[in-house]
Amino acid sequence: MSTLLEVRNLKTHFHTRDGVVKAVDGVNFNLEPGKTLAVVGESGSGKSVTALSIMRLIPKTTGVIGTDSDILFKGESVLGMDDAGVRSIRGNRIAMIFQDPMTSLNPVYRVGRQIGESLILHKGLKKKEADERAVELLDMVGIPHAGERAKDYPHQFSGGMRQRAMIAMALACDPDILIADEPTTALDVTIQAQILELMIELQERTGTAIIMITHDLGVVADMANEVMVMYAGKQIEYGTAEDVFYRPLHPYTWGLLESLPRHDVSEKGILLPITGQPPSLINVPSGCAFHPRCPYAKDVCRTQVPQLTSIEDGHSSACLFSGDPGFRRETASPSREVV
Amino acid sequence: MSDRDDLRHDAHNPHTHDESPVDNGELRDAAGHSIKDQSRSLPIPPTDDIIADGGRTLWGDAWYRLRKNKLAIAGLVWVIFVILVTLTADLWVKPYFGDPLAMDTTLGANLQPPSADHIMGTDKLGRDVFARVVYGARISLTVGVIAVAISVAIGLIMGALSGYFGGFLDTLIMRGADVFLAFPYVLFAIALIAVLGPSYRNVFIAIGILGWPSIARVFRSSILSVKENEYIDAAKAMGAGHLRMIFRHIMPNAVAPIIVYGTMSIGGAIITEAALSFLGMGVQPPTPSWGLMLSDARPLMVRAPWLMLWPGFAILTTVLAFVLMGDGLRDALDVKMKD
Repeated sequence: MSTLLEVRNLKTHFHTRDGVVKAVDGVNFNLEPGKTLAVVGESGSGKSVTALSIMRLIPKTTGVIGTDSDILFKGESVLGMDDAGVRSIRGNRIAMIFQDPMTSLNPVYRVGRQIGESLILHKGLKKKEADERAVELLDMVGIPHAGERAKDYPHQFSGGMRQRAMIAMALACDPDILIADEPTTALDVTIQAQILELMIELQERTGTAIIMITHDLGVVADMANEVMVMYAGKQIEYGTAEDVFYRPLHPYTWGLLESLPRHDVSEKGILLPITGQPPSLINVPSGCAFHPRCPYAKDVCRTQVPQLTSIEDGHSSACLFSGDPGFRRETASPSREVV
Repeated sequence: MSDRDDLRHDAHNPHTHDESPVDNGELRDAAGHSIKDQSRSLPIPPTDDIIADGGRTLWGDAWYRLRKNKLAIAGLVWVIFVILVTLTADLWVKPYFGDPLAMDTTLGANLQPPSADHIMGTDKLGRDVFARVVYGARISLTVGVIAVAISVAIGLIMGALSGYFGGFLDTLIMRGADVFLAFPYVLFAIALIAVLGPSYRNVFIAIGILGWPSIARVFRSSILSVKENEYIDAAKAMGAGHLRMIFRHIMPNAVAPIIVYGTMSIGGAIITEAALSFLGMGVQPPTPSWGLMLSDARPLMVRAPWLMLWPGFAILTTVLAFVLMGDGLRDALDVKMKD
């Protein structure tokens, strides 16, 4: 299988009055067709900025992408494209779903018209054809009475329906990659499950690759083939979902998994939070960025920057001790599957 | 059955599918959301609110809210009344009440108090005041509408460039606007007309040019707040270019304050026209204009007070009507007040 998307040493820095914010600092990954990559991390770990960098949606005035960074879509550099080239990819080959469905639909247009817009834009469809296709898409994402509902305005849709509409909009042009930036965060838990199932179903049908950005590990467990854990703009662990959940290597990932409520543990099971705050991205701690919060930190962690190194086949970690066979932890899957 | 129907069957709460095919919208919100597992279904109960919302459009909504505002409707009715009277004036005012320009030099024909012959009396040249008030409305409304149209045209373009692109262009345009606003308004208008020469046409050119900075500022700030919305990012992620972004996605959401401000500005422009004409810098005699009539009436204030009463009343009511209308539109067009 040929690689669909290659992200090479992505560095996205923002120049602010207070200093340079290294929002993304050296991220590498590959995405294969039809696969799902989950990007996990706390707020401010650089997940969304990674996604926006791929879409070239970083504001030019403040955001700078490193000169040695590259993003290759089907072998072609996205960073090197002119505006017209980028626009022909956006929404067409790479589509994006945003976090808050309540505000991601334009309030002045009918839902059907908005879904059809990218078809008019990219596929040259006539308004009427686009409207018809929009109804089919709404139907596909499970909106009942799609023909009627397409004529509604966004405020007449509930949150879950709007997110369905957003998914329909994103899938309109049958994109190769769907970037979902915390698509379920703003939704009720029950609706979250529905939306995730819908995405899984649609992926099976359309073969779209998905980059799922989330801080909800339960979401990841259900969907992802591969997981990338980010901390302070850096990748700290990368591997298959199986590896990352059952054989996590990095102490931060352990912390994430332990702080998760579990249905199979007795009620008295205590949640172990990760102490402290995520670091400021202007003054990133020296050495390993996680060392101030890491219960296993040694002196060497303060000075030496750990590199992402492959520990097992396809499973890598950026911790100085990950290579140590004794430095391991077994965990149960945090799946949100209700029993 | 097509592939999609299979999916639907699978994806939906089964009863959705068997549901009565009523398409009047009454049942659709009761319909289950896509879920495989019925135990997780959370049927959303139908609410009267959503049903009542059925076929309304955005403008329909606004009209519905405007209708409930009695003051705004009073303003609207008055404006429509004035417009109708002016448009039809040639048909009934001239034949039955007199020509606004026809002087009557017969002894005692001037400065008559209101009577059956001249319902608003006559001025110092024996002209029928009622006819002059009616024809004065033509001047006032034309100046008001055209001047504001000029301001809005310039202001919208400047505001859009400034708000959308930001950066240097923004600074340039906004500092330019500040220069305009730094001058006392009427003084600047008088200076402009002193250069252009006093005439009917130059009045609205002057008022129009002076009005753009306020419109641009209002529009810019409106654009800045609209730009923050996720649907703008979504549109960008869909591949929309600058023109499509500005005209299709931003403008329709940002234009409401301009409609409000523009409506109120028409009232302001009418006052400015009256002020300029009063000072002799506007419409020139013998053309009937409310400001000019006030100016003529000033020395005769004691002998013939009705001469200033009628045009004064006309200015007051018409300006008030526009302001009330603008006020009502502000409430009606506020998307946030949508329930």
